[in-house]
Amino acid sequence: MRKFLQAHWESFSRTPFGCLLRLFVARMFHGGDEPGAEELDLGIGVIVIMLAMPGVLVSLLMFEKYGSLIRFLRGNPIFDPYTATMPDEYFFLVLSLVVTGTAALWRWDALFLDRRDYTNLVPLPLSLRAIFFANLSAILALATLLTIAVNAASLVFFPMAVVGSQNSFAVWIRFTLGHAVAVFTASAFSFFAVFALAGLLMALLPAAVFRRVSHAARFILAVVLLALLASSFTVPYLLTKLSVPTAHKIALLPPVSFLGLARTVWLKGADPFAATMSKAALSAAGLTVLVAFIAYALSFRRSFIRIPEMADAGPLPRFRHSVSPLAPLHKAFLRSASQRACYHFVSRTLLRSDGHLQILLGFAALGLVLSAETLSSARDLHALVTGQSPPAEFLSVFFILAFCIIVGIRFAFEMPANLRANWIFRYWLDPSQHDARPIARRVLLLFSLPWLAPAAFFSILFFWRWTTALLHTAILIACTVVLVELVLIRFRKIPFTCSYPSFQSHSALIFVAHLFGLVLFTDYLPQIEHWSLLNPWQSIVFAPLLAAALLALRQYRKQMLDMDKTLIFEEPSPSAF
Amino acid sequence: MHASRNSGYLPGVKQESTKPGRNLSTRNKVGPMLAANGLYKFYGSVPAVQDVTFTLEPGQVLGYLGPNGSGKSTTVKMLTGLLEPTDGEVTHNGQNIHKDLAAYRRRLGYVPEEANLYPYLTGQEYLDMVGTLRAMPDSRKNARINSLLELFTLWPHRHVTLGSYSKGMRQRILLIAALMDNPDLLILDEPLSGLDVTSALIIKNLIQALSARGKSIFYCSHILEVVEKVCSHLIVLRRGQVIAHGATSEFRERIGTSSLEGVFLHLVEEKDVTKTAHEIVDVVVSA
Repeated sequence: MRKFLQAHWESFSRTPFGCLLRLFVARMFHGGDEPGAEELDLGIGVIVIMLAMPGVLVSLLMFEKYGSLIRFLRGNPIFDPYTATMPDEYFFLVLSLVVTGTAALWRWDALFLDRRDYTNLVPLPLSLRAIFFANLSAILALATLLTIAVNAASLVFFPMAVVGSQNSFAVWIRFTLGHAVAVFTASAFSFFAVFALAGLLMALLPAAVFRRVSHAARFILAVVLLALLASSFTVPYLLTKLSVPTAHKIALLPPVSFLGLARTVWLKGADPFAATMSKAALSAAGLTVLVAFIAYALSFRRSFIRIPEMADAGPLPRFRHSVSPLAPLHKAFLRSASQRACYHFVSRTLLRSDGHLQILLGFAALGLVLSAETLSSARDLHALVTGQSPPAEFLSVFFILAFCIIVGIRFAFEMPANLRANWIFRYWLDPSQHDARPIARRVLLLFSLPWLAPAAFFSILFFWRWTTALLHTAILIACTVVLVELVLIRFRKIPFTCSYPSFQSHSALIFVAHLFGLVLFTDYLPQIEHWSLLNPWQSIVFAPLLAAALLALRQYRKQMLDMDKTLIFEEPSPSAF
Repeated sequence: MHASRNSGYLPGVKQESTKPGRNLSTRNKVGPMLAANGLYKFYGSVPAVQDVTFTLEPGQVLGYLGPNGSGKSTTVKMLTGLLEPTDGEVTHNGQNIHKDLAAYRRRLGYVPEEANLYPYLTGQEYLDMVGTLRAMPDSRKNARINSLLELFTLWPHRHVTLGSYSKGMRQRILLIAALMDNPDLLILDEPLSGLDVTSALIIKNLIQALSARGKSIFYCSHILEVVEKVCSHLIVLRRGQVIAHGATSEFRERIGTSSLEGVFLHLVEEKDVTKTAHEIVDVVVSA
């Protein structure tokens, strides 16, 4: 059978259509960027494993939660799997929507045919129809692969963990079927929703405008996906507590509708509320697929076929700022010519390079969602703006935004822009001058504080006294400066000019350190600040704390060898030890 | 070769001429191998190409010259069927190419101006893909790929991804892709871009050898020395309009200049190039 299938696949892939299909599937994984863009090429296997990992990890945790021994010890040996698993089913649905949506967002550009495809394929004796259908087939193949990769683990392990001890094959089948229908539909909905939006924007907007608008669209989608993820902490609780009329309001959330689909299969349509939700879910999924196909056809006609005309007509002129609002700050902060040159290179790359801007916007979206989550978690929402001093939840918003922006930019620094263009820095900069860190520091500070500090000051001033606003702003600035020093402690590159860092044995440690930093910076610091603002004199406590941190960082750098501070352009391989 | 209706700068250039000794096929009985008839292309109200008319017979190498932005690439895109002209038509053997674009492209080899290849495919994979998409039989395709990779000195690099190729290597891959299916008509847009001296010499000789075998070649470039050596006929374009056309030797005779560079400057350039060079030096050395 395997040989038969292999022989058929091989003969199919030798046909022009099969060859196109293979090419388009490969381009979706290897990137559809413009030439010159350096992209991290992970390969199909690694991507599939990465997509499957969240499902595997969460499913394995379910064995602990639903194990018969654990339930026995908790005094709950018999349970109704269809009701007890609602929060977890909701979480799996959110996971399906978010992971598939994120993967589609990541391949946003690669889903559609571009100038490279046009140059290579259209002059060949192929019909445009063949190219159109081959790419459409590749998109469907990608959607199928994503759907399976994201949900396969939960499809096997989740029913096994929940109904494995029920000794009923019929229950196991029904539970698996309900879960499968819901998560597969959710994944397909998420993929095609992103695809439909990209296609509609491409079809409706001129090419040059599309590239600019797509940044904003991706940012909004990232916020929506993160908000969905955050909803998994509150919505399941609301679903069990709310009355049916109120529950209809949150039924607008896609995971709630897909949960209705699962419950309809589980309860054989006995729950009318779930039946209504499942109808909404199926209608939404069907409509999304339909809109996606129409958008794809329109974008193919309006965008792909007109590529040669657009290339000849040229891009829209870039808006030129004659006077930058940050110009006075640049003069004060960027003293040497090399610092000015590198700063302008870094800031423009960050704002104009698709990949880097995507990372920055992703972290900004994370910051916004975490801020909203923190504000909504306050016990008394009214007290947020009426107390004697700002509560920790209110103060933490600015710390969260500062942390996410700084860590996001620092993360983007590791992604090379175009290594073939880095000769200019190799040629001009003296590696022993240690210019890298001051440049990176200035970029981080100038991208965060000039807007964050005034925002913090005026928002506090609006509700409280000016001394409170002033103190909060000063503390925020000081803490941000320390954070910047901390994230740049071993930094010795001109941002975007160095090759990708190789995977290191302590990468997990770095991840944990960032998580710890997030908790410290966005939870503990605002609490200390809240306490200190109750009596302004208590704010002095920050002075020795921050001074000690700066001094420790300075000492650490002092004891580093000179060779560890020298400017580099190639990330050295991790030691065999 | 046929002339444009509004040829201006070189009155009296012969309307029909081929280099003596060229082995012309009988294909032109049904119409010329390639003909552009009154091509116009407008982007909005901006004219990119206006009233371009010429014919290309088997065995001819037609050089298409013009400064940047003169409409060369737009013409090439119309000749390859990538762009539809606003007015006029491109015919192949007397038939409008858009009537059966796939059949036309089966007989066409095209080297685009920009070597924008798939960086994750190896050289061999790319050529294999092109051969498959051209529906070449496997045995012929593999034999051609292997031989051409060897002759273009890319055999040792055949399993290296195109992203790691130099500009010259990518250009050689494009040339192989254009030649591998034995096309009757070749449209070359700056084919020597990035090639080393030896490869460039091979290509120059290759073009002459192909034309001697009756292939028609449309050669778009602004490297005048090469055009002068390989092209039997020339068309000079300025601001989208044909300003001169005819046999290469006749150009020199008419203008009274020994080199094509002189002819080109006489026809196209409005600037005093020596003066401009001096002005640049003044800017560079000024305090």
